[in-house]
Amino acid sequence: MPILTRSVVHPSRRFWGRLVLASVLTAIVLSPATAGSESARAGRTHEYDLKAVFLFQFAHFVTWPARSFRDETTPITIGVLGEDPFGAALDEVVAGESVGTRRLDVRRYQLAEQVGACHILFISASEADHLPAVLAGLRGRNVLTVGDTKDFATRGGIVGFGVDRNRVKLRVNLAAADSAQLTISSKLLRQAEVVRKGAKR
Amino acid sequence: MRAPKTTIQRKLVLAIMLTSTTALVLTGAVLIAREASSLRQLVEREVTTRAGILAANSTAALAFRNPDDAIQVLAALRTDPSVIAAALYDESGQLFATYPSNVAPSVLPRAFGGVGHRIEDANLVIRQQVLEGTRLLGTLYIRTDLRELDERVRMHALVVLCAVLGSIGVAYVLSIWLQRKIAGPVRALATAAKAVSEGKDYSIRADAVSDDELGLLAESFNDMLAEIEKRDGALRASEGRLRQLNAELEERVAARTAELESSNRELEAFSYSVSHDLRAPLRSIDGFSKALLEDCGDALGEVGARHLDRVRNAARQMGLLIDDLLGLARLSRAEMRRERVDLGLLAREIVASLSQAQPDRKVELVVTGNPTTEGDPPLLRVVLDNLIRNAWKFTSKHPTARIEVGQTGDNGSRTYFVADDGAGFDMAHASMLFAPFQRLHRQSDFEGTGVGLATVQRIIQRHGGRLWAESAVESGAKFYFTMWEARS
Repeated sequence: MPILTRSVVHPSRRFWGRLVLASVLTAIVLSPATAGSESARAGRTHEYDLKAVFLFQFAHFVTWPARSFRDETTPITIGVLGEDPFGAALDEVVAGESVGTRRLDVRRYQLAEQVGACHILFISASEADHLPAVLAGLRGRNVLTVGDTKDFATRGGIVGFGVDRNRVKLRVNLAAADSAQLTISSKLLRQAEVVRKGAKR
Repeated sequence: MRAPKTTIQRKLVLAIMLTSTTALVLTGAVLIAREASSLRQLVEREVTTRAGILAANSTAALAFRNPDDAIQVLAALRTDPSVIAAALYDESGQLFATYPSNVAPSVLPRAFGGVGHRIEDANLVIRQQVLEGTRLLGTLYIRTDLRELDERVRMHALVVLCAVLGSIGVAYVLSIWLQRKIAGPVRALATAAKAVSEGKDYSIRADAVSDDELGLLAESFNDMLAEIEKRDGALRASEGRLRQLNAELEERVAARTAELESSNRELEAFSYSVSHDLRAPLRSIDGFSKALLEDCGDALGEVGARHLDRVRNAARQMGLLIDDLLGLARLSRAEMRRERVDLGLLAREIVASLSQAQPDRKVELVVTGNPTTEGDPPLLRVVLDNLIRNAWKFTSKHPTARIEVGQTGDNGSRTYFVADDGAGFDMAHASMLFAPFQRLHRQSDFEGTGVGLATVQRIIQRHGGRLWAESAVESGAKFYFTMWEARS
């Protein structure tokens, strides 16, 4: 098991909590023992904790067009559409965080029509059935759509989460990102598998 | 002239070498230190830059938990063999990825601590934060071997050392060549000066080869030699003239002396022969006057006899005069001895003989102060004889008389005297006292020829002394004399 003691001194007190959380999550996700024999429920929870962190990290590696923000201090909004699988994890991750001058904001939507000014939108598995309609509704808006349903990216979403050998994998649909006028950092792309719409895995 | 202990050549070479070696060594040391410092700075900057690039490239790998990508990013360090190990730690300080991927865990710190760079066991260790924007995602650790740097510094030092040694060699060759330019003229000058001082030959000239101060020195030296040569010539000429003058002067003195001696001899011969030749007529006058008195005394009568007596007295007086003159003349020619003479003893003998001749005189002789001196005994006897006879004579009018012979003063300046309590004389006439034939008393009062004191004066002078007198009328006379004054 990885050792959880740390000796780093960091200026932000609040950061500690998230560090502990992140370490625990990393340790669990990277540990073969975790995925092998732990209960499925616990595995799912930890998986979504990590995905919450990834959602937050996208804010750093994606550039939105300036018109998607009202001004310099308009927060980056992370939205969750449908049934929320994160629990309190997402709120904990973004609490007090900021990207440059922008704070981070979490919103939850039950219906696609409710989605307003939003920059990162996690489309829950509960919306899988009418995903094309949801995506169509978002066309022309600068929203980074993220989902973990099967073939999310090839079906027109921008970033899809997958799990491979106990790791969360990223798939990116660059054409979809282009049409949403989003610039994804090449660093992020290095971590991801680039896919095209309609491609079969 | 002594040989110099160190030559100017050696001093010049030493000065040049000391200066250039010091400059070279200092420059070399500065170069090496500068190179070492700048190399280290360069390496540190390189490593820091590389760490910055790696950190920037590994942000997403840390953000999205992709150790494979992190390992790939770190693998870029392969291009630099001096990198021993590198590692990425996540935001919680846990080891995330390593380089090389199979590195022994003992090489790396298990947990991250601190940022910045420092030297550990000749390794440069860099710890750098991995930031995306302002967000800390983890830290990067790189350990670089500095042996290559040290090797480069050593290599550089070796090159500088070789350059310095080579430069010193070149400087030595140059200094040898330069010192010849400077020391050559100096040595030529020294050789010329030595030749002048040893040979006293002022016609030698130094070669003025250089156009600097040394040339000026050689020129001045030559000017000085020319001046000395000129003065030497003048000195020799004047010396010659002086010698010639001296020789002439000596010649003239010798000629004059010879003239004087010859005239002196002639004078002596003349006076001797005159005195001698005068005796014969005197003897005739006296002899025939006596014969006339004896044979024809009756015919002459009393008056005639008295006249004849006066003739005879005059003739006898003249005889005495001639005797004294002969004695004076002899004095000039007699050889002088120098012996110890007791003047007291001599005085007693003289007074004894005088008393024998005139037993009716009552004269007391007092000798004071043990008067002894050195001189010619016969001549000193003449001196005392004359002085005591004078004293005897000039006290003859007194019933009793006292004659004192003695000395005063110490060894340095002894003065001898003969004193009496007789008639004395007037000091106003003292200057006439020692001239021949000069008398202060009438012949009728005291008999005398006037030659005695002149004789005494002459003898004292020959003994290097002085003679003088003190007196007053009717209170006695005192004659002083000194001996060997001029020579001691």
